[in-house]
Amino acid sequence: MQQPSSQFLESPCSLWCSHHSMGDKNPSLSLSQTPPLTQVIHRKLLFITGKGGVGKTAVSLALAKTVSEQGLRVLWVTFEDPNRPAGEIKKLSPTLSELNCDAGRAFEEYAGLKIGISKLAHIFVGNKLMQYLSKAAPGIHELVLLGKIWHERQNYDRLIIDMPSTGYGLAMFQSTRNFARLFRGGPIHKDAEAMLETFGDPHESGYVIVSLPEETPLGESLDLARFLSELFPKNLPAFIVNRMFPQVSGLEGKKRNPMSWPNPLAADITEYITRRISLEDHNMRLWRDDHIAFSSLDYIPPPLSESLDPIVDSLARQIKTRGYA
Amino acid sequence: MIDDLLKSRKILITCGTGGVGKTTLSAALAFRAAMLGKKAVVVTIDPAKRLAGALGLSHLGDEPTDLTQHVQEALSEHHPELGSLQGQVWAIMPDTRKTFEAFLHEIAPNPATAERIMRNPIFQIFTNEFSGTNEYMALERLNALVQENRFDIIILDTPPSRNTLAFLKAPQLLARLFEERLIRWLVLPTNKLVSAGMRKALGILEKLTGAGFMTHLFDFAAGLFEVQVAFTANLRGITATLKSTDVGFIMVTTPSPDTLQEGLRFIEQVKEHQFHFDGVALNRGLTYLNASPSNPDRNFDAAFEVVRAIQKREKLVLEGLEKSKIQICAKVPELARDVHSVEDLFHVAMAFNS
Repeated sequence: MQQPSSQFLESPCSLWCSHHSMGDKNPSLSLSQTPPLTQVIHRKLLFITGKGGVGKTAVSLALAKTVSEQGLRVLWVTFEDPNRPAGEIKKLSPTLSELNCDAGRAFEEYAGLKIGISKLAHIFVGNKLMQYLSKAAPGIHELVLLGKIWHERQNYDRLIIDMPSTGYGLAMFQSTRNFARLFRGGPIHKDAEAMLETFGDPHESGYVIVSLPEETPLGESLDLARFLSELFPKNLPAFIVNRMFPQVSGLEGKKRNPMSWPNPLAADITEYITRRISLEDHNMRLWRDDHIAFSSLDYIPPPLSESLDPIVDSLARQIKTRGYA
Repeated sequence: MIDDLLKSRKILITCGTGGVGKTTLSAALAFRAAMLGKKAVVVTIDPAKRLAGALGLSHLGDEPTDLTQHVQEALSEHHPELGSLQGQVWAIMPDTRKTFEAFLHEIAPNPATAERIMRNPIFQIFTNEFSGTNEYMALERLNALVQENRFDIIILDTPPSRNTLAFLKAPQLLARLFEERLIRWLVLPTNKLVSAGMRKALGILEKLTGAGFMTHLFDFAAGLFEVQVAFTANLRGITATLKSTDVGFIMVTTPSPDTLQEGLRFIEQVKEHQFHFDGVALNRGLTYLNASPSNPDRNFDAAFEVVRAIQKREKLVLEGLEKSKIQICAKVPELARDVHSVEDLFHVAMAFNS
């Protein structure tokens, strides 16, 4: 029996404290090497990542919509969204479909592929322990979700994937890698290896990090880029900075370094806007000085309803007019 | 409102999804408690750099750090009008790995068992930070702080999560690992009590994963089997602490169309656990801005439209919460710049309920 050696495993600390070590992962990576969005957008698998609350879902849907309107068959994927029907592929337009990927369903399908649709497979999938492992066990859970995407890529021209936010999204790739390294011998090992090869190959997969023009999200985006480059050294991510305040002409003389304001609170709306734009300029100038490529999308007045449609439509228009896709 | 909570509770736990400004708000709560004369500590498991950076420190450690002097100096230099701190403000960044090791040693019958569990690769994968482990370790560290009885009030900033409810559900999530039935299936796979179906299923799993995986899986279950009783007792103790009237839960959120539903779900969960709900803290609001004198500058039109839409949404959220009788414990304004310093945190602390 082959004993997997623990040297293959990510050290426990990097599993437990990935947040804390993220920034130190690959100090040699020059972020100026990251590609512009236009270079990654045509990849077959496009993973949209970023921290929580930056608008990944709307941006990824807008990208999917734009690409599908060019006549390509697109599958937009999200994971275990409690507000969407689970597991079924649903047509949104003749060329655009959505999938709310569900681990339980994906596990069943995977088992069906591997052991055939039989009474035995039924017993296996219906087994309480197996259900527990597929739904609750980090590792198997992620492997199964990513496996579903990997499998669906045969059926579409493009897959645009709305990843869970930063840490959890990274853990999906990390767990898959740990499984591939640890559990040798079975077909799961082979599939995990093949998946990682696809995800690391810039001819097949691309990564987009969505951020906001504020210091913390920008800093975390750079950390995320470093971490992704550790996982997939040949496949660097592109950046989208979302929710940039609409530019106001004639402000040039009024912009100040945000650190010079005596009070971080603004008095009225005009002052807030002036300061907000100054802040964004200041933050993005630091990126330009470091030659970090990024695309930007404007802040769309948030709708009052829960429907994302108006935002998605508006973002899709921006993506088109700015020539990003 | 927030001051009543800071005076009456001994522990305030802030819950919320990533990106709502939980860490900043938690630190500001500790500042405010110190201004009220309390000896306050903020416990944060968020990415280290942020809070430490805002406080001007290179790092925070697993033991509480006294920030009082540092904060007092910044206060006297920039805002002498605010007077001086009557109390103290401390901060701590628990080392979850260290806590976890100590925890395993505590619940294991002997050190060898603890080491064996920690070395098991499946256990390492299972206990990565999205399985509830970090949350549970935060509670462990909290428990230790409570035992020490050094502070008047502890503000616990919960780990970032996908979902506001994650923290409340974390102990149960981790408990599932220790579920007796699950362990029995795996510890006794050849036992006659195990059904033929289970044996078949395990056989298929072995074919799919290879023999190495199964060896580790059984070893993993055997390890859990040994600590299960102690873990369950520990879980009961922690749950009892959280149910006490010394502890209040605050939901931190930014105003959005989902806020009301999020709040209702949160309250339902808190009630189900028999914990105490202390209100919604609405962060990053813009309704505090005075309306600008009529806007003659057409260049501002698009930006104005964005601000007004954000304000309108916030008002709807406030009305919705009020209508559903959901308590709002704090309204915190959106700052026009990133929180950078002790002074900025002060502005947040001073602006509660503005």
